[in-house]
Amino acid sequence: MSLSNKLNYRGITMQNILNVEKIEKYYGNKGNTTKAIDNISFKVDKGEFVGIMGPSGSGKTTILNCISTIDNVTTGHIIINGQDITTLKVKDIEKFRRDELGFIFQDFNLLDTLTAYENIALALTIQKRKNTEIDNIIKNIAGKLEITDVLKKYPFQMSGGQKQRVASARALVTEPSLILADEPTGALDSKSSRLLLDSFEKLNKEFQSTILMVTHDAFTASYAHRILFIKDGRIFNELIRGRDTRKEFFNKIIEIVTLLGGDSGDVF
Amino acid sequence: MFSKISLNNVKRSFKDYFIYFITLTFAVCIFYSFNSIEAQNSMLEMGKNTIAFMSTLNKLIAGASVFVAFVLGGLIAYANNFLIKKRKKELGIYMILGMPKGKISQILIIETIIIGLISLVVGVILGILVSQGLSIITAKLLVVNISKFKFIISVSAVIKTTVYFSIMFLLVMILNQRTISKYKLIDMLNASKKNEKIKLKSPFLSIVIFLLSVVTLVVAYTLILKIGLNPENILFIVSILMGIIGTLLFFFSLSNFFIHAVQKNRKIYFKDLNIFVLRQINNKINTNFLSMTVICLMIFLTITLLFTMFSFKGSYDKLIKGNTSFDASSQLYINKEDQKIKDIKEYMDLMNFKYDNYEKHVFFKEYKLNITISDLLNKYLTETEKKDFEENYLDGPVSTIKLSDYNRVIQLKGQSPINISEDEVIVVSNYEQMNSALESFMKNESTINIDNKVYSIKNEVPIKENIVTTGSYLDFFYLIVPDNFSGELNLYSTGFNVMFESKDPKQSEEIFSNFLNDISENVEYTSIQVVGNTIEDVHLRVHGSTTMIVFLGVYLGIVFLVSSAAVLALQQLSDISDSLNRYNTLKKIGVTDKLINKAILQQNLIYFMVPLALAIIHSIVGMIVINRIFSAYSSSIIGSSSLMISLALVIIYGGYFYATYVGSKNIVRNS
Repeated sequence: MSLSNKLNYRGITMQNILNVEKIEKYYGNKGNTTKAIDNISFKVDKGEFVGIMGPSGSGKTTILNCISTIDNVTTGHIIINGQDITTLKVKDIEKFRRDELGFIFQDFNLLDTLTAYENIALALTIQKRKNTEIDNIIKNIAGKLEITDVLKKYPFQMSGGQKQRVASARALVTEPSLILADEPTGALDSKSSRLLLDSFEKLNKEFQSTILMVTHDAFTASYAHRILFIKDGRIFNELIRGRDTRKEFFNKIIEIVTLLGGDSGDVF
Repeated sequence: MFSKISLNNVKRSFKDYFIYFITLTFAVCIFYSFNSIEAQNSMLEMGKNTIAFMSTLNKLIAGASVFVAFVLGGLIAYANNFLIKKRKKELGIYMILGMPKGKISQILIIETIIIGLISLVVGVILGILVSQGLSIITAKLLVVNISKFKFIISVSAVIKTTVYFSIMFLLVMILNQRTISKYKLIDMLNASKKNEKIKLKSPFLSIVIFLLSVVTLVVAYTLILKIGLNPENILFIVSILMGIIGTLLFFFSLSNFFIHAVQKNRKIYFKDLNIFVLRQINNKINTNFLSMTVICLMIFLTITLLFTMFSFKGSYDKLIKGNTSFDASSQLYINKEDQKIKDIKEYMDLMNFKYDNYEKHVFFKEYKLNITISDLLNKYLTETEKKDFEENYLDGPVSTIKLSDYNRVIQLKGQSPINISEDEVIVVSNYEQMNSALESFMKNESTINIDNKVYSIKNEVPIKENIVTTGSYLDFFYLIVPDNFSGELNLYSTGFNVMFESKDPKQSEEIFSNFLNDISENVEYTSIQVVGNTIEDVHLRVHGSTTMIVFLGVYLGIVFLVSSAAVLALQQLSDISDSLNRYNTLKKIGVTDKLINKAILQQNLIYFMVPLALAIIHSIVGMIVINRIFSAYSSSIIGSSSLMISLALVIIYGGYFYATYVGSKNIVRNS
């Protein structure tokens, strides 16, 4: 960890996990290019829960794809835990993705042939973890996410909320330095959403997990500590929760969403 | 418009169709090649009898072709049904856009016609090329010469192939129609979302069934090993049925049993992608156990068939050695004391047969002695060998030839005469090929007592060349006795041997062949038994039957092997493309390409090897049973034949496996 990545923040030494520096992303060829990301920079510290909001086509998913090494940027740098992922080789990217990142997807992406237990175990076995410790780690995380009852079930036997919590367990179990969540509540009803977000909050507090979450849902976003609003590939606004209650924060979000022109019908 | 959709579909799904297409082409090629055998006549130097044999062979192949057509028809129907299932969603979208079912069927029909037409044309062209090579093999097997090399195209085989495959495709189209009409739109659109139903869940039950299958198989093995190849015995049928049921239960319970066993072993279970691979296999074997069983049994049949074929050919090749020294031979047997004609010379004169002067010939007399083979060899025979001798009537009185007769016979084939003294005999026999009794006898005994006189055996190793050319009694044992032999001699037969030394041996061959065929049907002298062969007759009788078996074995073997490998390949490839989103998920959670490829390899390997492994175990038992029949002659065949069989397995089965692996990898990589 280089010194530059440690900065003084509110008097506490904070580790800087994610550092996005002036990234740009173009699509298309000469004469017909679309700027999906237009000079965006931001930082995420260890233990932060950051949300990215914006209307459809604003570039929020592109940002997440670039950070998650699924897509690459046209210019700029993304530094995660001290490593510049824009200069990594393909092989190192695979390893980096496996060891440093955890993913939570809108459509869960659980393997339907595997039980919940096996789905979580798989994330550990591909890291070549010792077979003796795997069982304990899984039971531990399952307890935290309240999915102990469904461990033996297959995805098709679970509710959407359970599936997403299993997917979250799979993302968290490897203790990645950064968890990337893409519309994690997108396929869930409001009750399941709340349950999931409660567990996110809990994990964030207990394990100091760093979460970067993309959403267009104001309620989901209100669980974050800080929200970046994106429009037309640029950061349009930044909202910090500070000492606000979630209700107050939620109202502020709605205001900006309205300002952004996104439909407030997305609220619940 | 619809043909355009069809054509584009075929083009686009060429990768899906590739293995199917290759298999079809291969099937057409094999079908044509074997059915074109009769047309090879024009190329081979054959006598009248061989030509007649070729037509028999052709009839046999024609019969087998009907059976092959059923197997291939089944394969085509299965593959087609499979490919349609895969495209349920696509067809569902056509329907949702308002296309009537009739039109969809029309698209599918045009597709079937395109695929069928291409594979038929390519297959026949390939078949024409392959059949040229096949005629060389035919010539080798029948031991005839190729007169001149001609490029042969058999029009009748082309027509036959076209008709057979057209019927198969027609049936497939009708089947397709029925499949389509049964589908509901909702199921078609949701086809990919449906989960496989797991039929057997309980770990306890799966263990019980697995053990039951193993027990059933072991009982079936023991039973068949005890009974041997004896289709009349009811227990034989029972053991075959038990074998089939055991195989079925084995595949029904295997994956579940396996997964429970592996789950107990954390070291394997929690390694790399093993969890995923296991579930992936479990997911499919559970539903595919029926096809797995059929495939396993087909491979078993192929191996056993090929082994039988090699054993048969091997033992006959060995037996015919020493039995074809003369161009033609004939013997007249003396069955009654007061038989009117005892000398074959007299008989030939009576039949007005004249030898041409270039047909050099000798006459000889064969006697029976007062001692039997059992007297000589019993000491050295095991119980089963004794029984074997009795069953084959080999235990009777010993045949003998006087030295002067024998010398004339061997001089005819250009050997120098031999000399023995008054109290010496010579052993002429090929019994060593059956068992070790004669060898031990020759080693341990130096004398033979005949009618109270002791003769010493002059030779240490038996002479292994017969005194006649024969295709009927391939095992022979003679004692050559001095001319002034004092013991009792019972005249058994009189005979002649001929060598054709003319410029046109074919003509003599035909004359003798006709004569020898006629006398066996002669009514006037029906009480007199005269048997004879020309060398071509013998070759035909022995090589003819081996050729039939070899062709039948190779024909059916290849068709079985290709069909089973093709089904496995199709299942695997479609399984991989069905699981694409799973592989994508794996990639997303950071699994390296290397690990994914390894998982694919493991999956393909297990899928291909499990039915093969059980089939090999089945085959070992089958080979032991078959080998008992030929064991007398073919102990050295096992090595070479298993090499050939392994080669066939590696090339065909291995080829399909490799193609599947490469195909699977490409599907995952390009997603």
